[in-house]
Amino acid sequence: MSTINDKYMYRSGMSRRDSLKWLSALAVSSAAVASVGFSSDAYADKSTVGHWPDLKLKPITGKGYGTDPNLIIPPESPWPLTLTTEQLTLVAILSDIIVPREGDVPSATEVDVPAVINEWVSAPYSGQQRDRSTILHALAWIDDEATQRFNKIFAKLNTNEQIAIIDDIAYRTPTTPEEFQQIAKAFARFRNLVMAAFFCSPAGMKDIGYMGNVPIAGDYPGPDKPAQQHLDNILAELGLTEFAYKA
Amino acid sequence: MSNFKHQVLIVGSGAGGGMAAYTLAKAGHKVLMLEAGRDYDPKTESSMFKSNSEAPLMGTSTSDKNFGFYDATVDGGWQVPNEPYTTGKDSTFYWWRARMLGGRTNHWGRYSLRFSEHDFKGKTRDGLGADWPFEYKDLAPWYDKTEEIVGICGTNTGLDDMPPSSEGILQPPPTPRVPELLVAAAAKKHNIPVVPMHRAVLTRPKDDRAACFYATPCGHGCSIGAAFQTTTSLIPMAKATGNLKVITNAMVKSVATDDNGKVTGVTYVDKKSKQEHNLTARVVILAASACESARLLLNSKGKHHPNGLANSSGQVGRNLMDTTGAWLSGLVPALKGRPRYNEDGHTGNHLFIPWWGHKAHANGELDFPRGYHFEISSGFGQPGAGVSGNVQGYGTKAKQIVKEHYGAYVGFALRGEMLPNKHSYMEIDDKVTDQWGIPVAKFHFKWSEHELKQIEHGLKTAKQILETMGAEVGELPPAEKAISRGGEIIHEVGTTRMGSSPKDSVTNQWGQTWDCNNLFVMDAGVFASNPHKNCTLTIMTLAMRNSTWLAEQLDKGEI
Repeated sequence: MSTINDKYMYRSGMSRRDSLKWLSALAVSSAAVASVGFSSDAYADKSTVGHWPDLKLKPITGKGYGTDPNLIIPPESPWPLTLTTEQLTLVAILSDIIVPREGDVPSATEVDVPAVINEWVSAPYSGQQRDRSTILHALAWIDDEATQRFNKIFAKLNTNEQIAIIDDIAYRTPTTPEEFQQIAKAFARFRNLVMAAFFCSPAGMKDIGYMGNVPIAGDYPGPDKPAQQHLDNILAELGLTEFAYKA
Repeated sequence: MSNFKHQVLIVGSGAGGGMAAYTLAKAGHKVLMLEAGRDYDPKTESSMFKSNSEAPLMGTSTSDKNFGFYDATVDGGWQVPNEPYTTGKDSTFYWWRARMLGGRTNHWGRYSLRFSEHDFKGKTRDGLGADWPFEYKDLAPWYDKTEEIVGICGTNTGLDDMPPSSEGILQPPPTPRVPELLVAAAAKKHNIPVVPMHRAVLTRPKDDRAACFYATPCGHGCSIGAAFQTTTSLIPMAKATGNLKVITNAMVKSVATDDNGKVTGVTYVDKKSKQEHNLTARVVILAASACESARLLLNSKGKHHPNGLANSSGQVGRNLMDTTGAWLSGLVPALKGRPRYNEDGHTGNHLFIPWWGHKAHANGELDFPRGYHFEISSGFGQPGAGVSGNVQGYGTKAKQIVKEHYGAYVGFALRGEMLPNKHSYMEIDDKVTDQWGIPVAKFHFKWSEHELKQIEHGLKTAKQILETMGAEVGELPPAEKAISRGGEIIHEVGTTRMGSSPKDSVTNQWGQTWDCNNLFVMDAGVFASNPHKNCTLTIMTLAMRNSTWLAEQLDKGEI
C-alpha cells in the first residue's frame, strides 16, 4: 500500500475548521489525480473473480473500562487506538461518502465520526473485535479493489471512481453479484456504525429530530398538535378511528 | 459501630432488604445490614442528561456493562468477575447479580403491577404449581402501604388482572405517546385492552424526592429520586431513624447455628481486607436475591441440617422460575417520517397490554395455563449504536431513509408466567468456589410445553396487532427459538418458596423458615409462583408485611 500525501491525511479529533480544510484539500487532490494515471485498462479488472484480503490481525489486548467506570466523567480514550493513519484516512473518506454534508448539516468527519470508528474497532470487547476484523478486511478489500480497477488506492481515486466502487458494494440484495456479497455485508456493518456515530453526535441528534433529554417542569405534555393531527390521520387511514384510545 | 447493638441482621440491600430494614427500623428495632457490593449514592453517581456520544462506544452494551455504559449497575451483570456459576448438562441459565448498595433496584424497569387473586391461587384453579399460603385480600392493604411509600403512577383500570389500589394511593400516569396510542387502537379492534402502566416513578413530589422531569432513562439511576430505588428512599429513611447501620463490601459466606440448630448469626468476608468476620444476631433475614439466599442456605451445613439450613423439605434451590420473554417488532409504514416532538416521557411504558385472558382461561379456550402481558417498545428515543437499522446505499438518500424509519418501529416484549418444573432448580457445585472460597451455584433449567404454548399465542397476538397497524411481519419463529433463555428476564424466584406445610415449602407465610424460627427469607425466593407481573413490588410488599409481623414477635418476645 503506497503512502499518501500529508495534505489528505485525516487526523482524528480535528476541529471543525481543520476538518473543513481537510475536506477541501481532499477535493482538490482528488480532482488533481483524476487527470493523471487513469487508464481504461483498469476497468478490465472489474471482471476479476472475487478477492478477499488475507490479513493477520493481532488480537486487541488492552483492558475494557471495567465494571465500575466513572459515569459522570466518562473515560475519553479508554483503550489504545489502533487504526493506522492510512486506515483512518480511508475511514474518513468512506464516512463522508456515507454521510456527506447537506446544507447546514455537517458531514460525518465534521462531527468526528472516524474517531468513534477508531475507538470502536480498537475496543477489547468481543463484539467490537468481530467488527474490527470485518472492518479492517473491508478497508483492505476496498484498497485492493481500487488498485485492481484503477491502479491506485481508494484515497487517490477521483470521486467518480470512488463512487463506482461504492455503488457496487453498498447494496446487498439477492441480485448482488457474488464477488460483492461478502464486501457488501462488511460494508453494511461499517455503514451502520458510521450512521450511528453521526446520529449520536449533537448535530446528528438535531438532524434526526431527537427532542428529548431536556427537563420538563410539570406534567409531561404528550403529543403536540401536529403529532396528534398525524395520529388522527393515520387512525382514519387504517380504519381505526372508532377504536381510538380514551383515557 | 461499637455502641450500636443490633438485634436483626439483614443480608442484602435491594427491594426486600431495603423494605425490611425500613420497616424494622421504623418499628424501633436496631438493624445491621450487610451488602456484598460497594456503597452507592445515586444523587452523585447517576449519569443524568448524558448523551450516547459522550460515552465509550456510543453507550452500547459490553461485557463490562451489560445494559450499556450508563446503566446504573455497578460491578454486576450476567457475570461477576471471579464469582462464577455453573450450569448442568444441556441447561442454559443466566444469573444477573448487582454488587452495590440498593442492588437491582438501582436499574430496574420500575414496572409495578399488583398480583391479583388469580395469581395467589393458581393451583386451586388449574392444578399446577403451588398456591400461596394466603389470598389477595390478605395482601391488599400491604400493597396500599407499599405503593404509598414507593410512589406508583398509574390508574385503577377496573380490569380483572389489575386489582385496584385504594383511593388516593396512585399518582397520575403520564400522557400516552403516539405509537402507544396507535397500538391501543389496533389492539382494541381485537378486544385487547391497552391501559396506563403502573410504574414506581413519581409524577408528584414525595418526601424529599422530586417528581419526574421526563428526561434521562430510569435505568441510569435517578439523582432526583423520582424513579424508585432503595438508595434514595428506604435506606436513607431507615438510617435517619438511627436504627440502621450498613456494612458494604461484606460478602456473606454462611449462616451460623448453635447446637440446637437455632441461628446465631452469619460469617462474612470483608472484601477489602479479605478477612472473615462473625456477627451474632437475634434474628437473621436473608434478602440477598432468590438464588443467592438459597446458595447461602445450601452452603450452611450443620449437624442438624446436613443438606443445608432450613432444608428439611428438600425444597431449597428447587422450583426455580424466571419470567418468559419473547420479542416481535415491525416497521409501521404509517409512522414513517412522522412529526417530531419530545417523546422521552418517563422513559418507560406509558401504556401497556395487561393480561386479558382470565375469562378465556375459565372457559377452557386457551391451550396454556398462565397469562402474560406485553410491554410496548417504540418512540423517538435518543439515538444509539443501532439507530440506522438495515438501510442500504449511502449518502443523502440512505440518511433520509434512516430518518424516516426513526420512531416508526414498534416492538412487543412478551412477559409471561412460568410454572415450576422438576428440571428447573439450583444446587451447589462442590467442585467450584468463587474468589471468597464460597462454593458456587449450579443451575438446571428447562421450559415446559406450558411456556412454549404461551409464547406461541403471544407471538400470534403481537403479529395480529402489528398487521392491524399496517406492518409487515412475515413468518413467526417457532416458540423454542423465540423464548428467552432462563434467567434472561432477571425475575428468578421460588428457590425458598413459602407454603402451608413444612413438607413442601421452606418458609411459612411470614417468610419465617419452618426449621428455624429466627431465620427469615424476604426476597423473591419465597414466591410460591411467578406471575407475569414483575416481582419487585410484591417483594417489597411481602417484606413490609412480614417484617411488621416479625417486629411484633420481637416486641412480644416470641422470637
